[in-house]
Amino acid sequence: MTGPRASSLAIYFAAAAAMALLPFLAGTYYLGVGLALLSWIALAQSWVLLSGMTGYISLGHAMFYGLGGYLTVLTWQQWPLWISLPAAGFAAAVAALLLGWPVLRVRGPYFVILTYGLAELMKFVVIDIEAKLGKFGRLLMGAPSLETLYWIMLALALVATLATYLVRRSRFGAGLRAIRENEEAAETLGVPVVRFKLFAFAASAFIPGIVGGTMALRTAYFEPFQAFNPVVSFTIVVMAMIGGSDDAPGPILGALLLVVLQELLWVNAPELYLIILGLALIGFVLFVPDGLHGRLSRKRHGSDGRSRERPREHPA
Amino acid sequence: MTLLVLEHVGIRFGGLKALDDVSLLVAAGEIVGIMGANGAGKTTLFSLIAGHQKPGSGRILFDGRNIAGLRPDAINRRGIARTFQIVRPFRSMTVRENVMIGALFGTGTDETLAAAQIDATRILEEVGLAAEADLPAGALTLAGQKRLEIARALATRPRLLLLDEVMAGLTPTEVAAARDMIRRLHKDHALTILIIEHVMTALMELGRRIVVLHHGLKIAEGTPDEIAASPLVQEAYLGQPAA
Repeated sequence: MTGPRASSLAIYFAAAAAMALLPFLAGTYYLGVGLALLSWIALAQSWVLLSGMTGYISLGHAMFYGLGGYLTVLTWQQWPLWISLPAAGFAAAVAALLLGWPVLRVRGPYFVILTYGLAELMKFVVIDIEAKLGKFGRLLMGAPSLETLYWIMLALALVATLATYLVRRSRFGAGLRAIRENEEAAETLGVPVVRFKLFAFAASAFIPGIVGGTMALRTAYFEPFQAFNPVVSFTIVVMAMIGGSDDAPGPILGALLLVVLQELLWVNAPELYLIILGLALIGFVLFVPDGLHGRLSRKRHGSDGRSRERPREHPA
Repeated sequence: MTLLVLEHVGIRFGGLKALDDVSLLVAAGEIVGIMGANGAGKTTLFSLIAGHQKPGSGRILFDGRNIAGLRPDAINRRGIARTFQIVRPFRSMTVRENVMIGALFGTGTDETLAAAQIDATRILEEVGLAAEADLPAGALTLAGQKRLEIARALATRPRLLLLDEVMAGLTPTEVAAARDMIRRLHKDHALTILIIEHVMTALMELGRRIVVLHHGLKIAEGTPDEIAASPLVQEAYLGQPAA
């Protein structure tokens, strides 16, 4: 369990400073790209809290993103932002707690499918509610400026990164990683697996809820198919897998790579983006299972040292 | 003082009585050997005590309180640790990190990783794995992984240690070393030990008292000499073929 290294801390600070300078230097286009990058970093870091640490791969984080967006839109111009955005986070976390109780009992592919299914279910529930209310898409008037949203998102990305960094070096994080490696052995050694998994699930839903709310304000338009788009879930997973999901630098690398890719392809070949996303995921899972960060840090430590190999499914 | 009491404990898997009306008293500080053929119910007995399975009937008292039906982590935090017959290391963690998990959780008082690291290092010295502390646990030999199981369990600071075939698959030299180590740990940590073993001589040397299970029933209990002389045990092991 590595201690903080001065060099990596310096990189974190430099990156944070660069992102904080962006509003003063960049035009609307690049600020928008920066906002997207920060939102993906916040989402992927949150995902790592649950899925990277425990190995319970969630394919349903769009659910928390969409819920947060929906709550923010419902309370728009009734609640001030400093209440509605945290409330969006809490709503997502509470949803995770309630759903986690039954859902976290299943492991492996069953958990993946269940989270995906629940996110889709939630999407259609919201679509039904909206239809009953006679709403087919909501337009938000007077949404905050891009700059305001950028600062909110920067704060979310920083908090999410810090959370991953700290959890990775805590007793809680050690327990979560033990669950990932072998859940039965972990509980035999006194790790409170039920409580830890639930807490990780709720923690991992909180920031995505706020990100969803912020992004709903960014588009100034809410439509369930878009807010609960499963591509959001897929993208989070691919970013974390490509970057490496065992520590804070991984999601940053993964988000950076994919956002750049997205921007490059957006104009010329938007339909190519999803294909490349899929190919990248397959390539990384097969050939770089510990992601860019895992590969880089292993290079730095020499290959004889600590193995960062992704845990294989152990026989039950 | 009686540390562990099993009162008429039983469990069924479908129609099969895996354990049937087993009662047992274990005093604090004892080493009790459990023997029996494959399928006799030995590991099931450990699973019930450690909380991996719920007994269908009967009570399990640890330190005077009923623990039957508690979750394994809750039982471990009360002071019972077990090893697995089929080893379950945290493969991609180092050997030391494996032991740190036990020190951080369990009955433990280690709140910080730094404290756990110190305790883990000390325990690895006790079980003779100090040189391997920084290797990934998956890289250990079988003998090493069995020792790691013991080290992790020990790190939770148990009062009762359940050892499930920690000598199986080891060479005679390794068996002797493991036996000496168990004796030493028993003394140094003031442990009460239940030990399942197929290696008969080692079991006879370790346990003052031996319990024999056969098809889920407790058929004998006594000193190693009494067990060796018991006609029921001889019949179970040598005589009539299991139907």
